[in-house]
Amino acid sequence: MNQAQSRSPLPRETFTLGSIPLVESCSVLEARRKIHSLASLVAGDSLLSTRLATVVSEVGKALQRLNQNARIEVGLCTKGNLPRLQLDFVGQLDSRSLGYLNSFFDHLEKDSGTGGLFHRVNVELTTSGVNRATLARLREIVEQKTRDQLLEEIQSKNSELEESLETLKRTRSAKDRMESELNIGRDIQMSMLPLSFPAFPEQGEFDVHAALYPAQEVGGDFYDMFMIDLDHFCFCVGDVSGKGVPAALFMAVTKTLIKSRAANDLSPASILSHVNSESAEGNDSAMFVTLFLAILNLHSGEMVYSNAGHNPPYLMRSNGEMERLENRHGPVIGAMEGIAYGEDSTVLAPADMLYLYTDGVTEAMDIAGSLYGEERLRERLRGADYPAAKDAVEDTVDDVWRYQGDASQADDITIMSVRYHGPVTREGETELTLRMHNDITAIAGVNDDFCRFAEQHGIPAAVQRRMNVCLDELLNNIVSYGYCDEAASDAHEIELHFRLLDSELVVTIIDDGKPFNPFGNDPPDTCLSVEERPIGGLGVHLVKNFMDKVHYERHGENNVVTLHKHLDQEQEA
Amino acid sequence: MDISTEQIDSTTVVRMSGNLDTNTSAPAHAKLDSLIEDGNTHLLVNLRQVGFVSSAGLRILLATAKRLNGTDGSLKISNLNETVNEVFEISGFNSILNVFSTEEDALKDG
Repeated sequence: MNQAQSRSPLPRETFTLGSIPLVESCSVLEARRKIHSLASLVAGDSLLSTRLATVVSEVGKALQRLNQNARIEVGLCTKGNLPRLQLDFVGQLDSRSLGYLNSFFDHLEKDSGTGGLFHRVNVELTTSGVNRATLARLREIVEQKTRDQLLEEIQSKNSELEESLETLKRTRSAKDRMESELNIGRDIQMSMLPLSFPAFPEQGEFDVHAALYPAQEVGGDFYDMFMIDLDHFCFCVGDVSGKGVPAALFMAVTKTLIKSRAANDLSPASILSHVNSESAEGNDSAMFVTLFLAILNLHSGEMVYSNAGHNPPYLMRSNGEMERLENRHGPVIGAMEGIAYGEDSTVLAPADMLYLYTDGVTEAMDIAGSLYGEERLRERLRGADYPAAKDAVEDTVDDVWRYQGDASQADDITIMSVRYHGPVTREGETELTLRMHNDITAIAGVNDDFCRFAEQHGIPAAVQRRMNVCLDELLNNIVSYGYCDEAASDAHEIELHFRLLDSELVVTIIDDGKPFNPFGNDPPDTCLSVEERPIGGLGVHLVKNFMDKVHYERHGENNVVTLHKHLDQEQEA
Repeated sequence: MDISTEQIDSTTVVRMSGNLDTNTSAPAHAKLDSLIEDGNTHLLVNLRQVGFVSSAGLRILLATAKRLNGTDGSLKISNLNETVNEVFEISGFNSILNVFSTEEDALKDG
């Protein structure tokens, strides 16, 4: 579909967006989240989306409790003057939730379609800006998979494997059997890896290459790489203890846990802590995995990483120096529950390259049985000047093959290399960087500068003012409560980045105050009367409501707050 | 922040212009306090010329409402733009403060 088509208005009809199954109580939460995102995207009205989400959560709970095959069918109807979001709650409802629906929606249709009885509500949207691109995004939201669904998929993959296992059981000799099991394990292992390179040709900020050469017998290496969002590239290399089918399945689960967690978590420490707890729980076979995981901020070059018992990678700086990222942040993954992993960060300059590997490289043996070794690898890398990630992988692997000669490969060999090129200004992207001292009177100036930027780039006035409120709240917080030293009121600097990409405004606020997550508190009670009402926390509540997405992370000595706001939904408001 | 006032019958209309934020709230608060101390206990704050109100602004409106509720005075607020209205809705202030769409509506309301 070309750009013009995707922007043109939709024909007047009803579009199916998808179906959200309500099979267990956690899927109600998931449904709530999806409906909230849908409504925020098309309505841009945070009150409406919050209200809708609450209704979905309340009614969804009853629906799920009372029906075997409960689900919410979601559609978008463009027949009237304004588009409508159409929600069909499929299944029987009790009188309490019916009353609930009736109190929120004027017209509650009850009908039985092919799928059975449903209750339909129509939510009129105060926007006409729904085009094919929006439709595609809406469908994406509805179809988004939860972690459980991903795990389920793996399970179904497993059932395919059962067939192979049947064959395996029938094989005659023990030797044949072992060989087939190893083959199956290897098939699973290889089917889990991203194998097509260049992997992210549209990302000019970096290039990445990886290769895995499975050993004949032992081996449980894996790697993965994916974009978390436009700015964050996540990659990891690991080595599962054991071999064959059990190790391959453990790897599959670990990989899935990592990916689903990273979708909403930009901290490698937090991702590893989570993955460890999940995989350690009920891990009777005592399998474990060594893992190095990093998230590279493509805009700033900052790479945050956490190492769980894996070989420390090498960092080849563009000036020819080489470092080893020696820090260990916790034990291997899956061995013990409840471990809090740590993380470190370093900033990559353009042309810096990271080189990750598994012990199959350094433990490769020549025909006489002596190891390739750490020293040989280090010298190989030190003497090289690789123009691309691919060259580093290929050159070192060739060197290992040469060393190994006619000896057999003892263990899996995995190498990944990531080369940072620096930030890239994408087509249609504009940005503004502002700095202010920790002086309360400087806030107005920041707001003025932002308004000028907003006007230049056609950001709607309503978004401008909302952003003004958010900046006033967050900057006031930082300046008033962020610093505990007695230094002069202008001793600290706060940095702000405004980026406009396609139709999204992304604002990053960086301060060196004491660690504080402004979004960590509970929302205030907005139902209290004038006399009872305390004020604190309200500002942040406003920010959360005005923005599509807010995020906090502590990076070294800095608090980093990121705000996301889509402009599409505002144009008609 | 510019503030002008006009006496219409028993009501003192306070017309604000600018943004009611971290920096401007303190002087605005002082102005409202001095009006009350001078015996003007029926205030109508017209926000027609106000671009945005942050929580600092809400805080002074709330403090003023609390102060006047303790006497036989009253605080009314009118002419909220879209963003200010949203701030009031999200914070729940539209249900705890006396909000009118226009100055005329506010003056008519007894």
